[in-house]
Amino acid sequence: MVKQASLLSQLEAIVGADGVRRSDELSAFAVDGLTPQAAVAPSSYEQVAEVLRYAHTEGLAVIPHGGGTHMHIGNVPGRYDIGLSLLRLDQVVEHEPADLTVTCQAGITLDRLQRHLGQHGQLVPLGPAWGEEATIGGILAANASGPSRHAHGAPRDFTIGMKVVTADGRITKAGGRVVKNVAGYDLCKLYIGSLGTLGVIVEASFKLAPTAKVERTAVATFETPGQACAFAADLQRRGLTLRAVQLLNATAASAVELAQQGLCALVLDLAGTPQAVERSRREIGDLAQDAAADLRDEENAAKAWESRMRLGSTEEAYLLCKATALPTHLSALIESLETVDGPPHILALPAVGVLYASWPRLEDAEAAVGRLRTAVTAVDGSLVLERCPLDIKPRLDIFGDPPPSFDLMRRVKEQFDPKGVLSPGRQVGRL
Amino acid sequence: MPNSSLIRDLSRVVGRRWVLHEPEDLLVYEYDATIERGLPEAVVLPYNANQVSQVVRIARRHNAPVTARGAGTGLSGGAIPCDGGIVIVTSRMNRILEVDAGNRIAVVEPGVINQDITDAVAPHGLYFAPDPSSQKVCTIGGNVAENAGGPHCLRYGTTTNHVLGLEIVTPEGDLVWLGGKTADPPGYDLTGLVVGSEGTICIVTKVIVRLMDCPQSTVTLLAIFDEVDQASHAVSAIIGQGIVPAALEMMDRNTMRAVEEAVQAGYPPDAGAVLLIEVDGLEEETREQADSVRAVCEELGARELRIGFSAEDRERLWAGRKGALGALGRLAPSYYILDGVVPRSKLPAVLRGVYEACDSFGFQVANVFHAGDGNLHPNVMFDERVPGATQRVLDLGEVIMRLCVEAGGTITGEHGVGYEKRNYMSWIFSEDDLEVMAGVKLAFGATDLFNPGKIFPSSKGCGEVSSRMKAAIAKVGPDAYV
Ligand SMILES: Cc1cc2nc3c(=O)[nH]c(=O)nc-3n(C[C@H](O)[C@H](O)[C@H](O)COP(=O)(O)OP(=O)(O)OC[C@H]3O[C@@H](n4cnc5c(N)ncnc54)[C@H](O)[C@@H]3O)c2cc1C
Repeated sequence: MVKQASLLSQLEAIVGADGVRRSDELSAFAVDGLTPQAAVAPSSYEQVAEVLRYAHTEGLAVIPHGGGTHMHIGNVPGRYDIGLSLLRLDQVVEHEPADLTVTCQAGITLDRLQRHLGQHGQLVPLGPAWGEEATIGGILAANASGPSRHAHGAPRDFTIGMKVVTADGRITKAGGRVVKNVAGYDLCKLYIGSLGTLGVIVEASFKLAPTAKVERTAVATFETPGQACAFAADLQRRGLTLRAVQLLNATAASAVELAQQGLCALVLDLAGTPQAVERSRREIGDLAQDAAADLRDEENAAKAWESRMRLGSTEEAYLLCKATALPTHLSALIESLETVDGPPHILALPAVGVLYASWPRLEDAEAAVGRLRTAVTAVDGSLVLERCPLDIKPRLDIFGDPPPSFDLMRRVKEQFDPKGVLSPGRQVGRL
Repeated sequence: MPNSSLIRDLSRVVGRRWVLHEPEDLLVYEYDATIERGLPEAVVLPYNANQVSQVVRIARRHNAPVTARGAGTGLSGGAIPCDGGIVIVTSRMNRILEVDAGNRIAVVEPGVINQDITDAVAPHGLYFAPDPSSQKVCTIGGNVAENAGGPHCLRYGTTTNHVLGLEIVTPEGDLVWLGGKTADPPGYDLTGLVVGSEGTICIVTKVIVRLMDCPQSTVTLLAIFDEVDQASHAVSAIIGQGIVPAALEMMDRNTMRAVEEAVQAGYPPDAGAVLLIEVDGLEEETREQADSVRAVCEELGARELRIGFSAEDRERLWAGRKGALGALGRLAPSYYILDGVVPRSKLPAVLRGVYEACDSFGFQVANVFHAGDGNLHPNVMFDERVPGATQRVLDLGEVIMRLCVEAGGTITGEHGVGYEKRNYMSWIFSEDDLEVMAGVKLAFGATDLFNPGKIFPSSKGCGEVSSRMKAAIAKVGPDAYV
């Protein structure tokens, strides 16, 4: 084990004095209550590589950080010596609007990238919460997505290339900068959602989407999640220009004032050409009438998604989980989760089959987690405890039982990071 | 003489009828749709995943490499058994096991033909989006292995965007499920890793595919230009308008000439290029987009625009495109199909480079390709009976691939690296990059058991057969198209 003083001087030799974080800044790098001995913010890919080469040689554990908005996702780290901030790598590397692609560094925040692209009428179809602070690298590592996933898919669907620093400090490339590319293994898929356990993402390239000519939001309210899901399924079959469909259970809907007490809300984001949006809105109106659902336009399109932000924010969420199920099982899952203490705030993407549920407080969190797992297993879904009280977290695998392919995952981790340098223990099965 | 104990062991698993080892039977499995060839020792046609797993265990015991094969339409030598050994053909594993229309998924075996998935789910108003031009014959297993694309991948993505889970047989012979029916399965995305791995790390025995709702309305436009340059500028301009069409295809003069003779699509003989543009969605949307596309094309000098709304009219506009590859057979005894990608904005310059290179090698070329994605398919005409012609065509292919890479593109957009392009890999990937990829292979325990000689650079020839290498260009049916 390296002494802290020598660790700091070694790191300073690599990243320079302004790249080393002061000891009073270290608490910002804490992960699940563990504070590293040192934290650095390299200003080049080469410096990232050198930090990793050093850590690799010394057997130190490194956890990469972006904006810190998703650090709660992952198991409690097994070891943690160096925090590695990517925030100084925050440039747009290449954006040729005619190519409808962009390459940027990992530390750029989502909002900054979107602002840049927006000037050219384009966007990267990512949309997770906290875009002000969330960085591209962190979003990819956490496989975080937002409601527009309904129309555009998840990060795996439009990430076309990456630069990644390996555990032993080599700068490597996966994919490329063109929209179609089948040269070699598709390593981007591996790094997305790897939670920093396979490599440090320093650069990424994306396929972009044009911004919509017109956007509009409507909210329909229902008595039960089942009715809301049925309505959503009906809409989807009609091929309307829906960019996002979000379902808030009654607790979540009333918290953001989207529905009257006791009603759940279906928030419908329309985006497209003017006439298509107009027609979609009209058709939704007709359907709502048939379903005897209350429907109104909503000026503040971001309101529903705000509830997702609240769901996940430290103050309000004691336990936050992401659960998945087949779309046809989603309403049953919502109903059974609602019976677990609570009531929880739930935000669901009905067509995708994903929901986020949070409990502001729980008498017995461990027992509740057991009941959540039972509920999810009953519909063959999956459950990840994205935020979990620290008194029980070390005893749990936040991903639940390892999947059938766990042995292959373990072998992948061993190949990519044999010494356990990168975020050790954070992935499923404590990889 | 094939190893008789190997044949005996295999026969015990799948039945004698389904093990081929006579030279005349093996010849059929010596090639795919490329130039290369390699003879297997035995060909096995298993009936189910369990049999595949047992065959793999036997192969291990006998130290025989295993190459999976779907329909053999691959265009990079992927299904050719370079080191001999066993070829596992999936044609008997062709059942659609489950269609869940409510959740828009289907579970299918690897030998299912791509088009058959769409046919099976069409009654539910659904379809399987990846549409390689070989879709009437190629298998979903081959699509998964190559991450196949097609004309409509511009808007809807390639195979990888439509596969949720896979059942695989590992090199140890274990059956393992990756991914699943629900979104975001915990852990690493091994499904995404296996798609595009060209049969080198596992054999796929079941595929969970995502289905899409059929669009309400589709409009097809055909824009005729005097010059290729105008057409390629129009490609960027359409995208620049904020329109991502469902498909955006280009054909050049040589292609049109061949098509005209074959299917009389009504292309003016002196035109330089046509663009085939399809938009889909709500009726309002497609009309609005079709209007914008029309305006862009006119502004960039399109001399004629044809538009199709009804299925019949649209079919007519596509006919030339669909008949293109079959028609090219009229121009020369053989053609070599290339596959490279460039950033869309570089299309005009790279296309010019392609013509110049072909000129300087003295070959005719017909370009028919997925222009919207920047995915080029130059088809180089040649006569393999002319001594040295095959080698010169391969050399020309290398020059064209270099043009793509120099423009910031890549060496393959959808046909795969296979045997053919493995030595170009080092143009775009460093040794470190390739070592990380090799780590994936090691993690799967694949070493050289599965499809040896593919993807990774090597100076080794395709088995002993490389000496017998000769042009065996795809004999494709009349309605095949690239
Ligand atoms: C006329 C023509 C047009 C074409 N158009 C297109 C196009 O538009 N877009 C496109 O992308 N491609 C196109 N192709 C190429 C080819 O059709 C695709 O690559 C297709 O996916 C190959 O499928 P296949 O069943 O023929 O596979 P094969 O050629 O039999 O095998 C291809 C690869 O897949 C592997 N493989 C097959 N089955 C399995 C399995 N079960 N598990 C693991 N590995 C397996 C093989 O080992 C091999 O490496 C075209 C080919 C032709 C001849």
